[in-house]
Amino acid sequence: MIGKPMLKVLGILLGLGVLMACGLISPEASFAPTHPQELGAGRPVCSECHSTDVAKGALKPFASFDHTASFVKDHRFQANQDINTCASCHAQSFCSDCHGGKVPMKPALRLSGRPDREAPHRGDFMTLHRIEGKLDPTSCFKCHGRANNEKCQACHR
Amino acid sequence: MKQRTNIALFTALVATTGWAQEISVQGITIAQMWKQETPGFDKATYTPATQYLGIDATKLGTDKLSLHLFGWGRSDLGDSSVLDGTKSGGYLTYGYLQYQFDKANAEVKAGRFAVNQGAGFEQVDGVSARTDLRGGFTVSGFYGLPVLYRTVTPLAQADYKFQRDVIYGSRLGWRSTKGLELGVSYLQDGAKAAKDLAIPSATDYSRKQVGVDLAVTPTTVFDFRGRTIFDVASHRAPAAGTAEPSKVAEHDYTASVKLGGAVAVSGSYVERNFFAYFAGTNLPSLFRQDERDLFKATGGKITWAAASSVQVVADYRRTHRESYGDANRAGADVRMDFLEKAVLAGVGAHWVSVGDVKRVDPLTPYRSLSHKEARAWVLVNKGKLSASLDGIVQYYDSSNPYVAGLRTVYEAVGSLGYQATSNLKVSGDLSYGSNPVSKHETRGLLKAEYRFGVGKKGGQ
Repeated sequence: MIGKPMLKVLGILLGLGVLMACGLISPEASFAPTHPQELGAGRPVCSECHSTDVAKGALKPFASFDHTASFVKDHRFQANQDINTCASCHAQSFCSDCHGGKVPMKPALRLSGRPDREAPHRGDFMTLHRIEGKLDPTSCFKCHGRANNEKCQACHR
Repeated sequence: MKQRTNIALFTALVATTGWAQEISVQGITIAQMWKQETPGFDKATYTPATQYLGIDATKLGTDKLSLHLFGWGRSDLGDSSVLDGTKSGGYLTYGYLQYQFDKANAEVKAGRFAVNQGAGFEQVDGVSARTDLRGGFTVSGFYGLPVLYRTVTPLAQADYKFQRDVIYGSRLGWRSTKGLELGVSYLQDGAKAAKDLAIPSATDYSRKQVGVDLAVTPTTVFDFRGRTIFDVASHRAPAAGTAEPSKVAEHDYTASVKLGGAVAVSGSYVERNFFAYFAGTNLPSLFRQDERDLFKATGGKITWAAASSVQVVADYRRTHRESYGDANRAGADVRMDFLEKAVLAGVGAHWVSVGDVKRVDPLTPYRSLSHKEARAWVLVNKGKLSASLDGIVQYYDSSNPYVAGLRTVYEAVGSLGYQATSNLKVSGDLSYGSNPVSKHETRGLLKAEYRFGVGKKGGQ
């Protein structure tokens, strides 16, 4: 049973080795692992300093990472495609504040002293979830979906 | 993963930090006490204590190797147990070794980590690797065991635990210098579909999904991103007379345009077909989603920087679910900051209008899901002191059976914090609210946050 998964891991490593051997790996330097300068309080506006313009050959416009209200609501796309950019400022624990999987308290309670963070489930979500769950159950899926729903089963036995 | 395996893994990972040249430790200790007064029940007092712990250890023998850990433990200090019936618990959110290469954004991870690539957003115990290739290509992949939480009824877990014995996926992306990025990804969760088991199961927890994602950012003022995910698993044949379910699990797209320096407009479209999107759920049949159901949503948002310190956001979203009909959600938020962001404040209000839903109850044959919500908050930082106040009110229609006749539900939270040293902050919260479950709910919370080491990340 353990042999098959190990073979697949070896296959992945072998595949990467082949890529390296063939010289297919990009020679470009890696993205900065941490932001070189300390950032001030509040949400950063990347484009205040980064004037990157794709028309001049840059690979990504930093204006698309400005932490506007839209960005905060829709950051799933950037996190999916450009996780390295996020990681230059945020440790993974920052993601886990809201996307922790199994958590001992709702994010809004843990971050109750930071109302600016807009953590999910503020107020009486116990009542509201009966409505939100009917209007859009797919929004619950990322954290509480299908088989990973211990909290759901506490009541919905 | 078994409990003793978790403990052994955690101990081994913590021991690894001994080699680190730089260690950053962050801990949060939270002691809560809350009193609930529920009509028809005795008054209850809960006193859980929770400890969060995160460790980032870098330069483990080499500059490129690092270790990252984050988890929590909880114990109830009183006699009452919390909602899930347990007095104590704990969880390793993530714990992995990471090797980052100087070139090509290449990295390898091993341990427990979150994967967010293409079709997958998963917690995995396993390995992952990624690298950029020549010509703007990038490739990544992961392989391991899916992280499963312990459910209240172990018997219900056995079925899906047996099916979800492996998870792996990969993404191949390409980014052009003209602001276009395309990606193709694959995710497989579970080796055997329900129909292929020795004793075929009625519920299928396994998934096979192919995703395509794109980002179009030709200029700094236009951004279009999204993805489509297809269900490529072979399922049991549908019942006679039933249509074949859609193979599209999800469409999720958003576009935004910046008009000048002060206005940004964005629009989004989402469609999710439950049969292809959810796979199985271990909830009892009464609470299961109708797998033939479909959800769609279209929405828009206008963000206006009215002044350098004032931001106004107006939003609208129309959702459609075949079993519950349409809903319209609209509202606005205003965010402000003063005194070089020493004072942050916000107010907002939203209306949700939903058509009446039929109910299997002759006394109240229809129920209303419409409601309104208003929120106001302020956060002040002055020297070593910080204070915040946050209030939220929800108004429900009288024909909503969930609110037990209580149409107005509210909660107010006040918090006071003191940054004792550069590494230590202590704070206390007091909240009061009224809701259908607890006519009066008073909650106190004491929190100590401490950080040691040189780590700068975290976004705090």
